[in-house]
Amino acid sequence: MTEQEIFDKVAAILEDRFDIDKSKVTNDLNFKNDLEADSIDIVEFVIELEDTFGAEIPDEEAEKIKTVGDAVSYIQEHMPKK
Amino acid sequence: MKIAIDAMGGDNAPEAIVKGVLAARDAFSDMEFILYGDQAQIKPLVSNIERIEIQHTDEVIAGDDEPVRSVRRKKQASMVLAAQAVKDHHADAFFSCGNTGAVLACGIFVIGRIKGIERPGLMPTLPTVATDDGFNLIDAGANASSKPNHLYQYAKMGIYYAQDVRKIKQPRVGLLNNGTEYDKGDDLHKEAYQLLKDDPDINFIGNVEATNILEGPADVVVSDGFTGNAVLKTIEGTAGALMKVIKHSLLNSGMLSKLGAAMSKSAFAAVKDKFDTSKYGGAVLLGVAAPVVKSHGASDDRAVYYALTQIHDMVNKQTVQHVIDYFSKEKNS
Repeated sequence: MTEQEIFDKVAAILEDRFDIDKSKVTNDLNFKNDLEADSIDIVEFVIELEDTFGAEIPDEEAEKIKTVGDAVSYIQEHMPKK
Repeated sequence: MKIAIDAMGGDNAPEAIVKGVLAARDAFSDMEFILYGDQAQIKPLVSNIERIEIQHTDEVIAGDDEPVRSVRRKKQASMVLAAQAVKDHHADAFFSCGNTGAVLACGIFVIGRIKGIERPGLMPTLPTVATDDGFNLIDAGANASSKPNHLYQYAKMGIYYAQDVRKIKQPRVGLLNNGTEYDKGDDLHKEAYQLLKDDPDINFIGNVEATNILEGPADVVVSDGFTGNAVLKTIEGTAGALMKVIKHSLLNSGMLSKLGAAMSKSAFAAVKDKFDTSKYGGAVLLGVAAPVVKSHGASDDRAVYYALTQIHDMVNKQTVQHVIDYFSKEKNS
């Protein structure tokens, strides 16, 4: 999966969860500051990332994911290779 | 209907859980159960296997496990497997007496929120003094911080429950606040007050205070989770402390008091019965995609049986479906 494909899927998840238009999602978008996500939102989002991409995201790593860009690069590095 | 049971949760597991399940199985011919837990402990307790399935697992979530982390890591725990069965549509409802935080995490993260619900709320039924009706308190502590719309949604969900399960046609809704006047409270409560007042479908009676909620001014008491949790624990703690003080002074104030206590035994039993909330079932996590019921860690088989009766009502009346329908309409309108 290319970086763009991962980005598109992440943007679709965010659109569904946070009422934000896909076209407004950028790599710099910060979950807490821009989307006002609280801890429950973030855990739900991380679980959906795991389900969508088949990658395990340990809690310590999940805590470091603060922006869309962080999520996309984490997934790209850790997605199971087919 | 099929109910997924965490057979290992609570102080009296698995004995009390299994005994309660068997009683519910015998009472309701339309109920089936999947028990998740240690087969070696569960199997000897089940003499008749009719409509009972046992799914073995060694893993459990302990009372002191960190909730979210343990639910995410212990994927084979009896509680997590029971929640997963509901998520995968192998069961219609979930029941546990285990770690409250972990039950909430199972409900929110495994079974999942209903679309349109911002935050699920935990809702016990508490006793009222004058009648046997009781009242519902939502949110009793699923969320530490709340927004006005969360409180509004708690009211909507609490109303469906009161109508379906408690058979109250037009439940009276009160907002737990620090005074009864309309302008009481912080911004959260003032805004929530307006939202509740402006909805013509809600029979809103205004603010209610913790001092008299046990007298039953409202059928559904709406609260932010932080306050609701403190109030719930204060009620439990005060009732328990009061009983201890009464017992102590009756036993230590001479022969006449002891005699009086013996003569008042039935009156004391009535008091105990009044504050025995197990007959109302467990606390429901409303706002998730299926009935999730959590009973007290110290529940006995009777409490388990009543909670399963409550689940039977919720599934039959399709309470969760009513919430789903309402909030999907709301989103599209």
